[in-house]
Amino acid sequence: MGNLIVNTRDQQFVLFEQLGLEKLLQEEPFLYFTKSDLLMIMGEAEKLAVNVIAPTLKESDRMGCKFQDGKVTVPDCFHEPFKKYCAGGWLNPMDDPEVGGQGIPFGVGFALTELFGAANYSFAMYPGLTHGTAGLLHSFGTEEQKRRYMDKLYAGEWTGTMCLTEPGAGSDVGALKTAAKKMPDGNYLISGTKCFISSGDHNLTPNIIHMVLARIEGDVPGTRGISIFIVPKYRVRVDGSAGEENDVATGGIEHKMGIKGSATATLNFGENGNCIGELLGREREGLKIMFQMMNEARLGTGMQGLALASAAYEHAVSYARERIQGTAIQEGKNPEAKPVAIINHPDIRRKLLWMKAHVEGMRSLCYFTACSFDRARVARSEEEKRQREGLLDLLTPIVKAYCSDKGMLICSAAMDVYGGYGYCSEYPVEQYLRDEKIATIYEGTNGIQALDLVGRKLGQNKGANVMHMTGLIKNKIDRLQSSPDLKNAAALLEEALKALLETMNFFAAAGKNGDFILPVLNASKFLEIFGDVLVGYLLLDAAEIAGEKLKVVSAASSLEQKVLFRENKEAAFYSGRIASAKFFAADVLATVRARCESIKLADKSPLEMSEEAFAY
Amino acid sequence: MNIIACVKQVPDTEAQIKVKADGSGIEDGQIKWVMNPYDEYGVEEALRLKEKNGGDVTIVSVGPARAMETIRTALAMGADKGVHVSDPALNNADAYVTAAALAAVIKGMPYDIIFCGQRAIDDDSGQVGAILAEMLGIPQLTIITKVEYAGSSIKVIKPIEGAQLLIETGLPCVVTAQKGLNEPRYASLPGIMKAKKKPVDVKTAAALGIATETKAKVAKTIPPPARPPGKIICGDDPAQKAVEVARLLREEAKVI
Repeated sequence: MGNLIVNTRDQQFVLFEQLGLEKLLQEEPFLYFTKSDLLMIMGEAEKLAVNVIAPTLKESDRMGCKFQDGKVTVPDCFHEPFKKYCAGGWLNPMDDPEVGGQGIPFGVGFALTELFGAANYSFAMYPGLTHGTAGLLHSFGTEEQKRRYMDKLYAGEWTGTMCLTEPGAGSDVGALKTAAKKMPDGNYLISGTKCFISSGDHNLTPNIIHMVLARIEGDVPGTRGISIFIVPKYRVRVDGSAGEENDVATGGIEHKMGIKGSATATLNFGENGNCIGELLGREREGLKIMFQMMNEARLGTGMQGLALASAAYEHAVSYARERIQGTAIQEGKNPEAKPVAIINHPDIRRKLLWMKAHVEGMRSLCYFTACSFDRARVARSEEEKRQREGLLDLLTPIVKAYCSDKGMLICSAAMDVYGGYGYCSEYPVEQYLRDEKIATIYEGTNGIQALDLVGRKLGQNKGANVMHMTGLIKNKIDRLQSSPDLKNAAALLEEALKALLETMNFFAAAGKNGDFILPVLNASKFLEIFGDVLVGYLLLDAAEIAGEKLKVVSAASSLEQKVLFRENKEAAFYSGRIASAKFFAADVLATVRARCESIKLADKSPLEMSEEAFAY
Repeated sequence: MNIIACVKQVPDTEAQIKVKADGSGIEDGQIKWVMNPYDEYGVEEALRLKEKNGGDVTIVSVGPARAMETIRTALAMGADKGVHVSDPALNNADAYVTAAALAAVIKGMPYDIIFCGQRAIDDDSGQVGAILAEMLGIPQLTIITKVEYAGSSIKVIKPIEGAQLLIETGLPCVVTAQKGLNEPRYASLPGIMKAKKKPVDVKTAAALGIATETKAKVAKTIPPPARPPGKIICGDDPAQKAVEVARLLREEAKVI
C-alpha cells in the first residue's frame, strides 16, 4: 500500500515517462541534475510530507488559528514541521542557487508541491505565499530590498503575504481604497484595510512582509493607478533584524469552513498614521507586478485541487478495499453468499475509476504546464520560447479552475465511497473536502478564470497559443489512428476537439457581431470543456506510453495477464493508466459534443429573465 | 574525530516480500530499498558527534550496485565520504564475510568510533557489529541508546531487562545503535545536491584481499505459513456467543 496521499509511482511516470524530463536534463540550466538526483529529492520530500507534515492534518483542523489580544497564533503542531521544512531547503527548490535555491525543474517542483499540499494544505500555504513574496522581490526589488527582505523570506526566517482584497474590492481589484502618501524620504505612508489575507498574521516567524496594493495620492482610479508596496509588520533595523512595530494591526481572523490552520486575517494599515511602505518597482505598475505572484498563486491553487483530490482518492481506494459490505451482485439473492469488500460493487468501482482518471489527468495537466515553463527556459529560439510561455499563459486559468472544480467533486466522490463514515470527522475525507472548497474561490474565483480564458487567453498572440495547443492534440490523434487498442478512444477525442474548435469559432463569430455576451455567459462551461479535452488528450498520450511499457513487461513474463497484474505491480500500474484513458474517453469525452451544442443553442434565459423572478 | 558508520541497504519495512519460487531468496525487482533503520540511528549519532566535536564521517557499505543509493542518502544527511564494497561474489555474503569486508576497508583508515545498526531488518542476524569489533580487536558496545563522548573514552547506555547499564570504554570501539538513540534527520535539499560532489570509493573483494567463502549458507528461503482465516461467531444471542468465545479460547486456543 502507498503513502495514502500521493501515488509517487504515477508522479514519476508523468515526469519521466510521459513528459520526458530526462531530455531536459541534457540542457542548461539543468545539466547538473541526473534522474536519480531528482528521484532522491522526491523521495526525501515524500518522507517529510508523510512523516512530519501529514500528522498535523487533524490537529491543525481541530485547533485552528486563534486571535487573542490583537495577536494570531497558529496550531502548535505547525512550529516544528515549519522549521524542518525551511531548514531542509524545501521553500525554494526551484529558484536560482544564488538566492539559496537549487534550481530544480518546475516539473519536479510541482511534484513536491503536490506532496506537501496533500499532506496538509493549510500548512503548505505559509511557505507558498512566502515564496511568492520573495519571488516579487527577486524580480522587481532593488539590491537593497533584496538584502533587507528577500533573503530572509527565501530562508523561511520571515513569511510573506499578498494584500489585494479589500472589503469593497474583491474580484474588482481596481476599486481598492488603500492609499499611499509619498514622504520626503521617498517612502510612503500606507493607510487602508485589507481582508481575507492568508498568513496575514501568525506566530510562526518573528516578522511578516506584506505586499500591499495601494493607490498613490492623486493617481488615476481603476487598475492603472495601482502601485505595490513592501510593508513589513515590524520595521527592519540596520542590522537586518525585526525592530519596532510598523502600525499594521490585525482586526481579526476569519472562522472558515476549511484550511483552518491557515490564518486568514483582516489587516488595518496605518490606523495611527504611522505605517511605512517601500515602493516595489515603479509607480502605477503595481498590478502588473502583482500578477507574477497571482499567476504563481493560481497555478498553486490548481495544485491544491490536485493534491487534495489525490489524497482523497488514495484514501477512498484503501477504504473500498477494506470495507466489507453487501454481497457481490452476481450472487443475486443467494442467502449463502459472503459479503465482499465494497471495491467489488460496480457503482463504487465506476466512481473510483472516475476519480482515478481525473486525478491522473490533472496531474499530467499540472506537470505539463510546469514543464512548459522549464522548456521555455531551454528554448533554442525566441519563437520556441514564446510558444512555450504561451502555453503557460493559456493553461494557467484552466489549471486553476478545472483542477479546483474537479478536485472538489473528487473529494465529494471519495466521501460517497466512505458512505456515512465519510461524513464524520473520524475519517479524513470530510476535511479534504472542506480544505478543498476554497480553491474554487480564492486567487480569482473560477468565474474570473473562465473570463480570463475566454476574454484574454484564447485571443492572446492572435490565437497562436491556443492553435499550438490544439495542434499538439491533433498530432496525437493522428498517431493513435494506428493503435488498435486506443483508436476508438482517439476517435472520441477527435470529435471532442472538433466540437471545442467549433465552439471557439462560434464565440469568435458572436464577438464579431458584437454579441460578446454569449462567450461571457458560457465562459465557465467552456473552460470545463477545454479542461476535459486537455485531460483526455494527456490521458491518451499517457496510455500510449503505458501500452508500450506494458508490452515489454508482459513479454518478459510467462504469467497470464490476470495473474501478471496481481504479481507485478508495474504491469498493474500500466494497465490502470490505459483503463483511465479509455474510461475518460467514454465517460467524459463522449459528452463534449453535446455540451458544445448546448452552448451554441445561444440560450440567454439567465439574462433575459427579470431579477425579481429569481426568488419569491 | 574520525567516525565511521556502516550501513546496509534493506527492503522498505512496508515492502511486500515475495519469496522466489525455487526458494533461493526473495524477488527483489519491485522492492523499494531503504537504509536499514538501525543504521540510520548510527549515521545520525555519527553526524551529531562530528557536529559537536569536529572531525569527519565515513560511510561504509557492502552491497550490490544499488547500495550506492543508500550511501548517497547518508552523504546527503551530512556524512563526508563513502566506501562501497560492491562485488557479485559478495551477493550472498553472511555476517562473517560482510564483517570481514568492512574490517578490511576500515583497517586501512584512521578511526575513533565505528557505528553499526544493532541488526539489519532483512536477515535479523545481529552479528556484523560484534564480528567486526573482534576482527579489529577493539571493544564492542552493543544495542546502545545513548552515547556520551569524553575525549579519549565514551560512556554509553545499554538497556537490559528491567535496568540500564552505564558502560565506559576507551577508543577506538564499535557501537551498535538501538532504537531510541536519536531521531535521524531527513536529508536536506542542499544536502542532496552537495552529496553529489562527495567522494565514494568503490572496492571489490579481490582488491580488499578477503575470502568470500561464507561460514553459513542459507539452504532455502520459505515464506511464512499463510495466516489461517479468522473465525466469525454467528448468532443472535450475545450471551450465547460469549459462551462460544469462552469455549473456543479454552478448548481450541488453550489460553484460558
